[in-house]
Amino acid sequence: MYIALDDLILTKDLPTTGGSLMLKGYYSPFDAEVATRLTGAGHEITCKAAVGEFACDLLGETNFMGPTVDVDGNLCGGDIMVLMNNDAEAVVGLDVNGTPRRSAAVSNHICLKTSYGIVSRYGTIPLACSGESVYVTGVTSATCQDVLESIAGHDPKDGTSLPQERCVAAATPGEVPATVGVCRSLVEAAGPDVQARIQKVIAKLEARGVRVEWVDDSMLLAAKPAWNILMPAELCNNVSRYDGVKYGYRSQDYETIDELYTNSRTEAFGDVLKTVILFGSDVLFTHNYLAKYDRAMRMRRLVVERFQELFAQYDALLMPACSKLAFTPADVEADKFIAFQENLFTAPASISGLPALVAMGVQFMGPHGSDANLLRLSASLGACAWKEV
Amino acid sequence: MDKDSLKGLERLNQLALTPQQVDDTLAFFQLRQAEWDALAGIDTSDVERMVHVAPMETVVREDVVSEPFDRDELLEGAPDAMDGYWQVPYVLE
Repeated sequence: MYIALDDLILTKDLPTTGGSLMLKGYYSPFDAEVATRLTGAGHEITCKAAVGEFACDLLGETNFMGPTVDVDGNLCGGDIMVLMNNDAEAVVGLDVNGTPRRSAAVSNHICLKTSYGIVSRYGTIPLACSGESVYVTGVTSATCQDVLESIAGHDPKDGTSLPQERCVAAATPGEVPATVGVCRSLVEAAGPDVQARIQKVIAKLEARGVRVEWVDDSMLLAAKPAWNILMPAELCNNVSRYDGVKYGYRSQDYETIDELYTNSRTEAFGDVLKTVILFGSDVLFTHNYLAKYDRAMRMRRLVVERFQELFAQYDALLMPACSKLAFTPADVEADKFIAFQENLFTAPASISGLPALVAMGVQFMGPHGSDANLLRLSASLGACAWKEV
Repeated sequence: MDKDSLKGLERLNQLALTPQQVDDTLAFFQLRQAEWDALAGIDTSDVERMVHVAPMETVVREDVVSEPFDRDELLEGAPDAMDGYWQVPYVLE
């Protein structure tokens, strides 16, 4: 299969920029584990897909070369552009702040954010390590399943990698989810086009004999503010390595070492990233640590516990992936930090490490390790990028 | 967060914002504070912190010798290098 990697996955033979001027033209001295596994399984890596600067934006609009816009003038991620141009049959990358799931939702593609720990992150650019995980985007669920089987597995080089049997189990199809809970608060927070899409999907589920019930998901709303603390805090530390010395961009305007650091970072980083770095740095300050960072980690447990309660009753949950089904460059011009509002819908999976599957413009979540079962669910509904919902 | 405190954060993070970026960043801080304050009613005092979402069963690698990266190959990515080292301005007068 021809596969593209998003630009957060390190490769020896293709440049890796992370969407940032800081890494323009950078070649890694080694391949990421997912790249090695894909080629080892007989797949061919064709190209890199553009991402927003270190992947914390809405739909890749903060890439240093500019946003990716489709023929209708709507924003779409670089991963979707690669698929639409037939440069690859699937894209593998890193889901940090939900961007690939939003991309798939607005373009009607299939995107699986894998369960935390079942796919190695060795050789992915580290950003929000406690929640980011590898994703697969494709045209059909079967394509994503093929890729998932190639990349899932224990990797001793990744300290967060789960034992082999858990990785294999997550990638092995089991029962198709028979009960689905619909997240009331998240659906109500979405726009009318998304709410209508959710209703269509509910009708499809019921027609397939799936039991569908509305559930109280109010605790899941805490995921967004908590993730908006944890993610910048981790990202701020991880991008501190980019200083213009060891690799990447170096300013031409400096006399002292301090000017070299400051001018290199100031010139190379974009507006959104700078703000995220500063916010992340602030929440880790002594006077904020307990009230914000520490409390956000406790909030994460409450969210995870609520998921456990819900998954004791339902095989999967249904929720939006974004508030509307099309975003234009004007949306991000009006609010450059819009991703930190839109991640209301993606943060629950990011903060909990649970798998999330976007298909037909909506998002399904399942218990940890139910990755292949979620793909079976979307396959059973006939989800396909070229098929109208 | 105010402009003076933000200036301190800029120095700490080796960044220099424009006046417009300062205004945008302060607005971002306010939004995040407001959404965080909305959770004030949730008591987390007896809740255990969740640092890792998956159990960390083994965090230590096997103690085996492996091939290190080649120094010259690593320095190929450096903006400036000399005699096998990263090249930076003098830090001692």
